Amino acid sequence: MLNVMIWSVGIFLEILLLVRGFQEKLYRQFPIFYLYLLFVMLNDVVSMGVYRWVPNYYFQVYWVTQFLSLAIGSGIIFEIYRVALRSFPGAARMTRYVLLIVFGAIFAKALTIPSGGVFTWLAAASIMLERNLRIVQALAIVTLGLLFLWYAIPFGKNLKGILFGYSLFIGLSIVQFTLWRYSLEQIKPFWSYAQPVCYLLVMGIWVRTLWFADSLPEVNPDVQIEIDYELLMATTRDQFRKTLARLGWAARA
Amino acid sequence: MMQGFAFVAVAVFLVVLLLLSAGHEKDEDLTPGAKRNRGRLGSADALQSAELVLRIFSPKDREFIELRHSPRLQRLYQEERRKVALHWVRRTSREVSRIMRHHRLNARYSQNVNVAAETKLFGQYLELRFLCGVLVFLIQLLGPHALVDLASYTGKLYEQLGRTMRDVSAVSNVASSGDAVP
Repeated sequence: MLNVMIWSVGIFLEILLLVRGFQEKLYRQFPIFYLYLLFVMLNDVVSMGVYRWVPNYYFQVYWVTQFLSLAIGSGIIFEIYRVALRSFPGAARMTRYVLLIVFGAIFAKALTIPSGGVFTWLAAASIMLERNLRIVQALAIVTLGLLFLWYAIPFGKNLKGILFGYSLFIGLSIVQFTLWRYSLEQIKPFWSYAQPVCYLLVMGIWVRTLWFADSLPEVNPDVQIEIDYELLMATTRDQFRKTLARLGWAARA
Repeated sequence: MMQGFAFVAVAVFLVVLLLLSAGHEKDEDLTPGAKRNRGRLGSADALQSAELVLRIFSPKDREFIELRHSPRLQRLYQEERRKVALHWVRRTSREVSRIMRHHRLNARYSQNVNVAAETKLFGQYLELRFLCGVLVFLIQLLGPHALVDLASYTGKLYEQLGRTMRDVSAVSNVASSGDAVP
């Protein structure tokens, strides 16, 4: 009964978010995010029906839709990258390279797994596979977050909300899957409640931050900067060289 | 497991060094005279002078104070010079951060960012911040003339070690010659 109540509240919040997104035309700015929400809402409705009428098939439906939502959810990370770095081609270029290195490192690590390599990893139990994929997503989000901080990328309230909510969702998923792995019996009774409650928390954040459309802060770049990148690099290097020399004097004094 | 702990330990150590190098100075650390001169001395130009750097870190003033044979004067000098040296290193560290911030805030707009050059520059930035952190750590631990003192201490230690080694080899020579006697 409690499960169905939590579920119903979740579906209500998803519909509310979709309606507000349509009213505020936020779906134009974040199409993948709203596609994800639509998918999750339809999925919840179908899953609730299956749970109620044909419970024997619930777990099959759950895992299939869970992986589909994971795939669409990965698109949200791409959308965050695309929207946030639209006005910053330099930062976007650096981010692409850093993400490439991070994904390359993850792939290399997967290949070096001793017990059977990447195919065994992929064939692992569904929970572990989902946890591993969520960890990959989490690494991508952490990398993006660090680069956004480094380049002082301004966020609007909407983008900040999507990023924070989705990061929280992924973080909580990783914790849940890890706990599931290490203490199956103790966690099992709470499992069916913990996940939806955490999801409601994330939905609450999204409802709060996506209620109104909030445009991204405008940043006016220096007009000369495009032709002066080489000069900028040379100036910074020169200043660093001078600072290093001063530290050298201090050490040798 | 141990590798993971070592990695975390190194990361924590680096973060501590960075925090140390960027640490805020408290007003109570400065004398009224120093507070009055703060604006003048704190300007970026004041940091550029080689004379100033050499004057702060040179042991000549300490040698002069030591000639006075006054422990109180020596203690005062040590405290004041430590504050001045820390102030200079922290200002330099902040200057490095300011330069890098200016660079990245401008580079983020550029269409033709050179990824390799940016990575190298980031490495230089980390190196400078690390050096500042090490200097702050050494100055706080050993005083304003930390590196000179450290060098002279290492020299003494090396000398002592050499002497000990000579003594040990002499003893073992004696012992081995004693063993040879039937």
